[in-house]
Amino acid sequence: MRKSVILSVLVLAMIMSLSFATVTVTFWHAMGGQKMEFLKSMAEQFMKIHPDIKVVVQYTGSYRDTLNKLIAAAGTSNAPDIVQVFDVGTQIMVDGDIEVPMQQFIDSDPTFDVGSLLPQVLSYYRLNGKLYSMPFNSSNAIMYYNKTMFKKAGLDPDNPPRTYDEFIAACKALTKKDSNGNIIQSGFTTPLHSWIFEQMMAAQDALMADNNNGRTGRPTKTVFDSAAGLKIFQLWNTLSQNDWMINTKKEDWDAADALFVSQKVGMLITSTSDVSYMMKMAKEKGFELGTSFLPVPEGSKPGGAVIGGASLWIIKGHPKDETQAAWEFVKFMASKPEQMAWHKMTGYFPISKDAVSTMLMNGWYSKNPAHLTALMQLLLSKQDYASRGAIIGAYPQIRTAIETALENMIQGKWTPGYALNWANKQSTIAIQDYNSSY
Amino acid sequence: MKAKKWYPYVLLIPTLVIIILFIYYPAVDAFKTSLYRNSVFGNRVHYVGLKNFIALFHDPEYISTLRTTFIYTIFTVSFTILASFLISLPLSENKKRIKIYRTLIFLPYAVSPAIAGTLWSFLLDPLVGQVNYVFLKVFGLQIKWLISTPYALYSIIFASVWKIMPFDVIFYIASIQSVPSELLESAKIDGANAFTRTWKIIFPLVSPITFYLIIMNLVSVMFSSFAIIDVMTKGGPGTYTNTMIYKLYLDAFTNHRTGFASAQSVVMFVLMAIVTILYFKFGQKQVHYE
Repeated sequence: MRKSVILSVLVLAMIMSLSFATVTVTFWHAMGGQKMEFLKSMAEQFMKIHPDIKVVVQYTGSYRDTLNKLIAAAGTSNAPDIVQVFDVGTQIMVDGDIEVPMQQFIDSDPTFDVGSLLPQVLSYYRLNGKLYSMPFNSSNAIMYYNKTMFKKAGLDPDNPPRTYDEFIAACKALTKKDSNGNIIQSGFTTPLHSWIFEQMMAAQDALMADNNNGRTGRPTKTVFDSAAGLKIFQLWNTLSQNDWMINTKKEDWDAADALFVSQKVGMLITSTSDVSYMMKMAKEKGFELGTSFLPVPEGSKPGGAVIGGASLWIIKGHPKDETQAAWEFVKFMASKPEQMAWHKMTGYFPISKDAVSTMLMNGWYSKNPAHLTALMQLLLSKQDYASRGAIIGAYPQIRTAIETALENMIQGKWTPGYALNWANKQSTIAIQDYNSSY
Repeated sequence: MKAKKWYPYVLLIPTLVIIILFIYYPAVDAFKTSLYRNSVFGNRVHYVGLKNFIALFHDPEYISTLRTTFIYTIFTVSFTILASFLISLPLSENKKRIKIYRTLIFLPYAVSPAIAGTLWSFLLDPLVGQVNYVFLKVFGLQIKWLISTPYALYSIIFASVWKIMPFDVIFYIASIQSVPSELLESAKIDGANAFTRTWKIIFPLVSPITFYLIIMNLVSVMFSSFAIIDVMTKGGPGTYTNTMIYKLYLDAFTNHRTGFASAQSVVMFVLMAIVTILYFKFGQKQVHYE
C-alpha cells in the first residue's frame, strides 16, 4: 500500500516537473526571405538540444518596424525575450534601459568564453568596457564588380580601382549612352543609404561625431563635414552629374542589387551580407564576379571598416528562468557551427574566431574567395574610434539628413559643400534635441 | 416605459466604447503629448509647453511640407474629380458590354495603396520600366521618374489619381444615370450641343455628388497618400514629396520624436477642421439640389 502511494507521488511529481520545465522564449527578428527560414531551422536545432526550452521565432518586419514594435511592447507582458536591433539603435537601447547587458551573463557563466569571438565585432557593441548585446549578423560594405564587363570595357579584371581617381576612370569606361544621351549601361550603383557614406568615412579613418564618435562621452555634435566627408560627397556628385553612376531612391538596397545583377552597371558597393546571393546570381546570369575593398582617395590615411548589421538584445522584466533560457539560445546562435552555417548562407561575418580558422584550414575560403573579402577588410582595419563606429542616440535622424542632402546634391540643387554642411548642421540639431532628455 | 427612452442609448454603447478607445482617447493623448518632449522609450519625459509648435513653424522644412501638401492635394483632387466625371459620362450609357469597362475601371480601387505604389514603381523604373520604354521609343527621353525634381511629384499625383478615381466614377455613374433624360432631350431639341449639355445641365445636377466626393477625396489624399509616397519616393528626392502626413510618420516612427509628431497631428487636425467648416459654409451655396 505504502509502496504504491510513494510510487504514484513520484510519478505525479515527475509529470508535474515536466510540464513546469518548458520555458518559452520569444525571439523577434527582422530577417526576411531565406534568412527567416534559416533562423527557424536554427531554433529547431536548438530545441532538439534543449527539450525543456521552447523558442518562438517571430519575423517583425524591417529593423525600424521591429524597433517600433519593441518601443510599444517594452514594459508590457508582450515584450519579447530576445530582439534583434540594428546597429544605430545601440545608444537608443542603452538609454531606454530595457535590456539585461550581455556582460552580466558573460560574467556569471564560466562556460562562455567571450575571447573566442572576433574583437573587432565585439568592440562596436561594447560601451565603457561593457558588452550590451551579442553581435549576430555583422557586415561591412565591399565593392562587387563584374569582371566580364570589365574585360569588355578594356579594364583589367584582376586590378579593380582602389583610389577615387581610378574609380571615376573605371566608371567612365563602363558607361555607355545612346545618341540622345540616354543611359544604356553605367559604371556603378549603390543604395542611397547613409551607411555607405559612413563606411567610406571609416575607410578614411574619419570620425562621424565628437567625443571620439560618442565613445568617451555623449556626443554633442557631428563632425563629418570634414575634408574626408567632402571628398565622398564630391565623388558622388561627379559620378551622378555625368551619369557615370545610377542612383536609387532612399535606402533602396534591392534596386541597387537588381541593377548589378542585370548587368546594367559594372560595379556595386553594398553589404557583404549579399555575397552568397551575388555569387549565385553571377553564375545564373553568366558573368564573373569580383570583390574588392572600398576605394579611398589618393593619399588618404589608412582607415578601417565599421560593423553594420544588427545584434541580439535580451530584454529584462521576464522571469529568471526565461531570461536564462534566452541566454542559452543567444550562446547557441553565437557558437561556431551556427556562425559557420549563417556565414556560408549569407555573407555576414562569422563572429567566432574558431569558425574563421576552420573555414580557412579546410579550404572553404579558397573555393569561395568572395566571402573572404569583407573579413579581410575588417581584420586589416586600423583599430581606433573611427573604425569602431559612432554611438549616437539621434542616429536615425542623422541618416535621414545625410540621405536628404545627397538627394538634393544629386538633383543639382546643392553643391557638395553646401549639402554636407547642411547635413552636419541638421545632425547636430538632432543630437541636441535628443540630448535635451538627458 | 422609462426603458424605451434609454433603449437607443444602450444600443449605442458598444460603438461608443470602440470610438472612445480608438479615436477619442488617443486624440486627447496626442494633444497632451504635443506639449512634451520624450525619449525614445518614453522613460524620460519633460514638459515643454508650446515649444514643439513654435519649432514647427520656425522649421523651413515644415513650411515647405505645407506647400507640398497643398500642391499635391489640390492637383490630385481636381484631376480626380475632372477625370472621373469625364470618364463617367460614356460609362453611364446603357450600351451593350459597357459593364466590362466599368469593371476594368474599378480595378485600381481593389488594390491596396501599397500595391499600387509598388506597381507604379516598377512601371516607372528609369532603366527597365515600361513607361520609359514607350517614352524612349516615342520621345527619345529617359526620365528619372521617382528620383528627380519635378517628376517625382507628377508620379505620385498620377498614381494617387489612378488609385482614387474608380471610387468617384462609381458615384458619378449612378448620379449621371439619375439625371432625367427628358431634360437632356429637350435641351437637345432647343439646340444645345454636347458641351453645353454636359456642363450646364449634367454637371450642376450632379453637384451634390461632387460636393461629397471633393471632401472624401480630400481626406483620402491627405491621409492615405502615405502608402503611395512611402513606397514610391520615400518623400524624396530630398524632401520634395514630403507631405504633412509623411513628415509626421518620419518624425514619429523613424526619428522617434513623439512630442514633435503629436504637435504635427494637432496642426493637421486644426487645418482639417478649418477646411471642413469653410467648405460646408461656402460649398453649400454651389450645390444645386433641383
